[in-house]
Amino acid sequence: MASVFSADARKILLRRISEFWFEFRSKRIGLAGLALMLMYAGVAIFAPYLTPYNPMSQPRLAQAIAMPEWITVFPQFQEYGRTQRNTLNWQIVAGSDYIKNWGTTVDIQYAADNPELVQVALKSHFAYEQLAPNEFYTKFRYEVTNLTDVEYSMTLVLTPPDANGSWVFFKSPTLSAARSQDVTADSKDPLFIKLLGYDLQTNVGNIIFAQRGNYTFTMYLNLRALSGNAEAHILFKEAQIVLLGRVHGILGTDYLAKDIWSHIVWGSRISLIVGLLAAIVGTAIGIFVGVVSGYLGGMTDEVLMRTVDILLCLPLLPLLLALVHLYGRNVYYIVLFIAIFGWQGLARVIRSQTLSIRETPYIESARASGGSGFYIMRRHIVPNIIPVAFASMILAVPGAILFEAALSFLGFGDPRVVTWGMMLQHAFGFGGFSQLAWWWILPPGLAIIGLCLSFVFVGHAFDEIVNPRLRRRR
Amino acid sequence: MREYLLKRIIVSIFILWVVVTLNFVIFQVVSPVSPEDTYLPLDLDIPPEVRDMMRELYGLNDPLHIRYIKYLRNMFTFDFGISFQSRTPVVVEMSRRLPATVLLLGSSMVATILVGTPIGILAASKRGSKTDIATIGAGLFTWGVPVFYIQLLFMLFFSYYFLKIFGVQLFPVRGIYSIPPPGNPIAFMVDVAWHIALPVITLVVGGFGSWALYTRNILLDALTQDYIVTARAKGLTERTVLYRHAFRSTLPPIVTIIALSIPGIITGAMITEWIFTLPGIGRWYLDALNGPDYPVLQAVLFMYAILTIFCNLIADLLYGILDPRIRVGVRR
Repeated sequence: MASVFSADARKILLRRISEFWFEFRSKRIGLAGLALMLMYAGVAIFAPYLTPYNPMSQPRLAQAIAMPEWITVFPQFQEYGRTQRNTLNWQIVAGSDYIKNWGTTVDIQYAADNPELVQVALKSHFAYEQLAPNEFYTKFRYEVTNLTDVEYSMTLVLTPPDANGSWVFFKSPTLSAARSQDVTADSKDPLFIKLLGYDLQTNVGNIIFAQRGNYTFTMYLNLRALSGNAEAHILFKEAQIVLLGRVHGILGTDYLAKDIWSHIVWGSRISLIVGLLAAIVGTAIGIFVGVVSGYLGGMTDEVLMRTVDILLCLPLLPLLLALVHLYGRNVYYIVLFIAIFGWQGLARVIRSQTLSIRETPYIESARASGGSGFYIMRRHIVPNIIPVAFASMILAVPGAILFEAALSFLGFGDPRVVTWGMMLQHAFGFGGFSQLAWWWILPPGLAIIGLCLSFVFVGHAFDEIVNPRLRRRR
Repeated sequence: MREYLLKRIIVSIFILWVVVTLNFVIFQVVSPVSPEDTYLPLDLDIPPEVRDMMRELYGLNDPLHIRYIKYLRNMFTFDFGISFQSRTPVVVEMSRRLPATVLLLGSSMVATILVGTPIGILAASKRGSKTDIATIGAGLFTWGVPVFYIQLLFMLFFSYYFLKIFGVQLFPVRGIYSIPPPGNPIAFMVDVAWHIALPVITLVVGGFGSWALYTRNILLDALTQDYIVTARAKGLTERTVLYRHAFRSTLPPIVTIIALSIPGIITGAMITEWIFTLPGIGRWYLDALNGPDYPVLQAVLFMYAILTIFCNLIADLLYGILDPRIRVGVRR
């Protein structure tokens, strides 16, 4: 910009800005918008500090569509539990001769001189004192190495606090080869529900963890030596039971058990980038076309204005959907498409302003003193239309944000980023409504509205200052 | 007048030609999808020799300019081909889907105008009052609030929550009639009205603010004119001044803006049809995108373009007819 404006021009510009700020200060709605805008900018900039979770890769934090944590202050949700992760710590029940190490990692070294059948048993307790969870999973890993002439099988059993009955969580076939495996028993897994002996529609979490108190896992390892020099080395580790919470975080979770608050926070970046970039690019095109068309006139003007007419006749939303569909769901394409189709109105306004500026005496004298067309446009016309263009740019931001939100809501957003429109799409398409998940449906929409209104308020206040037509008769 | 009409029509046809050409370029020339796939469903496993035969049949082996001319001919004779998804001619399907869209848009537009205009007049006649400020607020609000979100909220509260709390389905959430539809014609009409009530109400809620604000601004413009001062000076009542003098002069821009807003409303109604599962043109287009069903896409884009251009033409002509000051080409 330094090359565009001389020192004098800079001084004038600074004075105009301070005058402008003086007028803007008296507009309450503009100040409110500005405050809101700064808040969103803050959220976008400090996103990594506002949420511990990365929006794109998160472990399973709680059950799917979990309510926000603070809901527990209401009496009817008081008992709703948070996610509870228990690392299982094993103790020896039987077969202590072979267990070299126990605790979170169990090291079993088995050797036999003659054929025999041995059972090794381990157990682990954990306490559960909350309302039964809807979802849970158990994980562990076993590694069998150095295996010679041993057949083995293992069974994991859970016993409730009242020790009345038990559930088989995992049962391996009888194996005779060395292998390592990660085992997961997930309450959402139909095979696991079948193993427990329930109907597929059953909420097994509610049945198994209905009691409160100390639950016990017991691991039975059956080892059968087939010959005189049988041996096996078995590692048993990383066992944990995760009882997924009915409540989670600030805004609960969505259908994939992702943290909604983190999506809201990171979504502000995408919305701001899309809105600002599209508005800036669109305004730049609009200024260029308007000034060139207005100043040069003649054939150039005719061609440019007919192009504007044609672009105004295009069905915008369907065409953008088709373009995004054909060229790929990339957020920068979306910005570009919105910008390309969003400058026509501004170009017309700028053109008419340029037409009136062109006739002023100082332009004539600039031309008489030999200024080239480009010089005059840059030096004398563009600075004059900047206030109007700036107001129009600010008012173009909410349009672009809403457009991107609509595209995402219809399922044409960039799948590599989290956007508020996409959150609404998921809530609409994956059961947010039938489950009345207000914590999933309300935040993204309110975030969109707040951001757009902040720009509308600021733009409106701007427009009232720079647009003489809107000034009241005093 | 006739000269102007003729000129406008020629310009409109020119614009239509440009749009169709753009359509051709987007779908047939620079598209990352190969042109034959825009004629043949992608999922169809066709033997190579049949594929060649079909390429020949559809003229895909012709040079580009011949294909372009054929494309123009097909579009302008409404020969859009066969839909991949329904396997029926696109024109037939389009005529089947049109009533839902027309019904939805017609009723929501009329309702929006009926609600918004009086509010705008009221606000303008009491400039600076609370009504006026509320109208400006409602107008600004529509700028920043996505209509589809209003629809989602209404659906959440008046369908889902209402059903949960009162056990009654106040508004249905999908379709344009119950399944199976009632046989009695009157019962059927009531059923349809019940189904489109929520979409129409939400469109009005999302649209009346900007409409009222627009009416207010035009009327305020008119109220600052010298002839209003004259009318007041003559001692006419404020009512007469408002309706006879000021409001009459606002009709041309209002009618124009109605005509100009139709295309935007129609494409905007796409999302409404998507949310409420209404079997209209917009829903059809979105389903075609997910297909993808290229004959339908091209046909609907073409129809949207015709509509936009036609409405622009009508707006221009109406403006000329309604406003005597710019009755184009007429010497008085």
